[in-house]
Amino acid sequence: MDTSLEHTHELEPHIRVARARAGVLLLIVSDVLAVLAILAAGGYLRALNTEGQYKIAGDYAPSFLSGLLVMIALVLSGLFYFLWERRSRKPGEAGQALFFLLALVLMLVAGVSEALIAAALRYALPIHAYESVQLLVIWYTAVHLLLAAIIGLLLGGRILRSRLAGHEFIAEVVGYWWYYTVVASILLWLFGVYLT
Amino acid sequence: MSSTTDSTTVAPVRRPNLINNLFPSVVSGIVFGVVAAAVAGVLVNRLTTALSPDGVPNDDAVISAVYTAWVLFFFIGIGAFNGVIKWAFSRREPTYAEELQLAGKDQGLWRYFRYTTDHKVVGMQYLATVFVLFFLGSMGAFSIRLEQSTPGAIYFNPSTYNTIVGMHGILMIASTIIMVSGPFGNFILPIMIGARDMAFPRLNALSYWLLFTAIPIFLSVLLLGGFQTGWTGYAPLADQGLTPGMDAYCFTILVFAISTTIAAVNILTTVIVMRTRGMTWGRLPIFVWGVLLSVILSLTAFPSFIVSQTMVLMDRIFQTSFFLAASGGNNWLYEHLFWFMGHPEVYVIALPAMAVAAEVAAVFTRKPLFGYRLLVGGLVGISVLSVIVWGHHLYTSGSENALTGPFMLDTELISIPTGIFFLVLVGTFWRGQVWVTVPLLFVCGVLVNFVVGGVSGIFLADLPTDEILHGGMFVVAHFHFTLVGAGVFGFFAGIYYWFPKMVGKRLDPALGRLHFWLFEIGFVGTFSALFYAGLQGEPRWSANIAPPFATANTIASLFAIVIAASVFTFIYNVIYSLARGEVATADEWGAKTLEWTVPTPVPLENFEQLPVVTSLPYNYGSPLPESPVAPAADIAGAAIEAPIQPQGEA
Repeated sequence: MDTSLEHTHELEPHIRVARARAGVLLLIVSDVLAVLAILAAGGYLRALNTEGQYKIAGDYAPSFLSGLLVMIALVLSGLFYFLWERRSRKPGEAGQALFFLLALVLMLVAGVSEALIAAALRYALPIHAYESVQLLVIWYTAVHLLLAAIIGLLLGGRILRSRLAGHEFIAEVVGYWWYYTVVASILLWLFGVYLT
Repeated sequence: MSSTTDSTTVAPVRRPNLINNLFPSVVSGIVFGVVAAAVAGVLVNRLTTALSPDGVPNDDAVISAVYTAWVLFFFIGIGAFNGVIKWAFSRREPTYAEELQLAGKDQGLWRYFRYTTDHKVVGMQYLATVFVLFFLGSMGAFSIRLEQSTPGAIYFNPSTYNTIVGMHGILMIASTIIMVSGPFGNFILPIMIGARDMAFPRLNALSYWLLFTAIPIFLSVLLLGGFQTGWTGYAPLADQGLTPGMDAYCFTILVFAISTTIAAVNILTTVIVMRTRGMTWGRLPIFVWGVLLSVILSLTAFPSFIVSQTMVLMDRIFQTSFFLAASGGNNWLYEHLFWFMGHPEVYVIALPAMAVAAEVAAVFTRKPLFGYRLLVGGLVGISVLSVIVWGHHLYTSGSENALTGPFMLDTELISIPTGIFFLVLVGTFWRGQVWVTVPLLFVCGVLVNFVVGGVSGIFLADLPTDEILHGGMFVVAHFHFTLVGAGVFGFFAGIYYWFPKMVGKRLDPALGRLHFWLFEIGFVGTFSALFYAGLQGEPRWSANIAPPFATANTIASLFAIVIAASVFTFIYNVIYSLARGEVATADEWGAKTLEWTVPTPVPLENFEQLPVVTSLPYNYGSPLPESPVAPAADIAGAAIEAPIQPQGEA
């Protein structure tokens, strides 16, 4: 098929915004279901306590204090992102980059810390069901946080290049994921604490 | 509605050379992926050997590293990240010329081997891939029937047989999941709703190429000792499987599930956001409803599948115990997570195919679709119910006895919305001016076979009969009548119907009829015989059949030869039609949905001006058919000018 005479058509701005919102929200729905599957799996194994081996003497939980610090960092990250996003959405205001930077750094630190917490767990082999669930919860959270940090880095690139003007909806939809990541991580952490 | 750029914004055409063609393309993707996989394999091998107290490498970790590197670097090689990096760090937005370049403008056949964003290219890529997967899966089926044609071991040992059965199962399940939503959902659906492309063209390419990267991972099963769990990958057998082929299985599922989730988000967003003016929810073609509900189910069901395979990989690599009873895990967990995906997945396959059948039936009976809203309601009902019936797969597992009653009830409730589908189809045929084309023959096939699949399913929904029939050939025959009867027959209805629009050539109708009759006779013969074998008590997970079941199996194997003949007839038809087929007109069948209003081949952005829709596309009843598209937006005028009956079908 000859395509040499083709030209392109620009999407209307409201469609760009609507598709970005819809796409991110649908991704969140999908991820919520994965988180629910993890919570259901952990609760199910705990309830079954197969052969009394779900949690045995010597099984230990990840450090509570470290987890709490990560969650505090995450809440602050969400708060700073909110402060930045609220301003960046106003026409003519670029937002305060410092807030965004703080949000990004805290997310990055939280992700790396979560990975370090997971790596520090020296469970004896074979790892029993309780510890298996804890490992899954921590690693899933770490991947979540690092993914959010990568998205933040990409958004940071656009901010550095001053390419957010006219595309304020990007800050909004990234915010959806950002806040969701904070909430999902806290939920998973609380679940881990509950299992303990 | 939209602005059009003038020709001055289009970059001058550069004369492509070999380097331009190869990089970035699938070739550079494969080179990057293979090299990175080899390096990752060596590194992780050394690392795990050093960390192991016994000095033994962790094979599962090595295999996982190899596959991860393969996928990641394939995407670097094919240029998938270029757009992302530019989006973030470039000093300017991409120009129209760059967007067109990404969509495959002026790249000829090479655009099919690149990270091309045009939805029609992606649709054709899916179609080609479906053909390949379906052919490989068919060969697996034929191998199974060969082995089971007479009692005793003939060609394969039990382990190899199990691997073939598992590979056949996964290949067919994967190819039927994407069979309709992949090719037609990408090529046809955006045009049907009056859009110029999918909502996220880059994600569209990503979903296809993820599927592509999963294929070599899956085929590597053969080099890694196979897997003995069958297509369900049941744990703890999957945990205990000593061959690394199981890792390949898990990785294939993970990559495939991510690809399907991305495709689902894209299709769903496209339908929600990109519909043209006047294309209200009440005017959506029924095919769009079918695909839409199918992808909603994918989005709902696949996360639990991803989690289940992640757990199996963790069990295998890190020695966790999600499914090992000795360490507090439980096999029921896997079964719940798997079947929470596994049962809706049947409708992920069936819904779009059922919608194709309804779409085609309206066109070839020259009647409005009988009970359009009733059918939409029925499809929604099937979708909702399908998510809460997974427990019937665990009747005989010993888990959750208290839930058996509710699961029986809601499973049987599905027969009501499914019955609506049959009612609508029969109602559409009733007193219609039936034009017996090849697509319509396959719709008749759906009608016949899916009824058998549905009715036989009732026996498996009831615990008392399921206790007897579970794990037997009856189940095999039932789900083949359901998945092939609805899914594959619906796909063939779709391919004969839309092939002229997608490729610009007509499939030969005489060969098409031969294909249909061989397939229908072979299919019904094969699986009716297996129904009989199942009722006689033949178990399904057995490489070598016992003498009492020999006759039924021999008959099934003989009819399988007829199916194989039908497959080769179809392949010949496609090749013959591509080479020497008649050129198709813009509106090959005199149909009224929007895809038939655009020229063939379809322009890069489908519509010069976006159409305005004023009614449902099924108003065939009036003596002077009212166009469903407003005159101002009548671009091609093809709906009016096209012949009612092409010569080849006359």
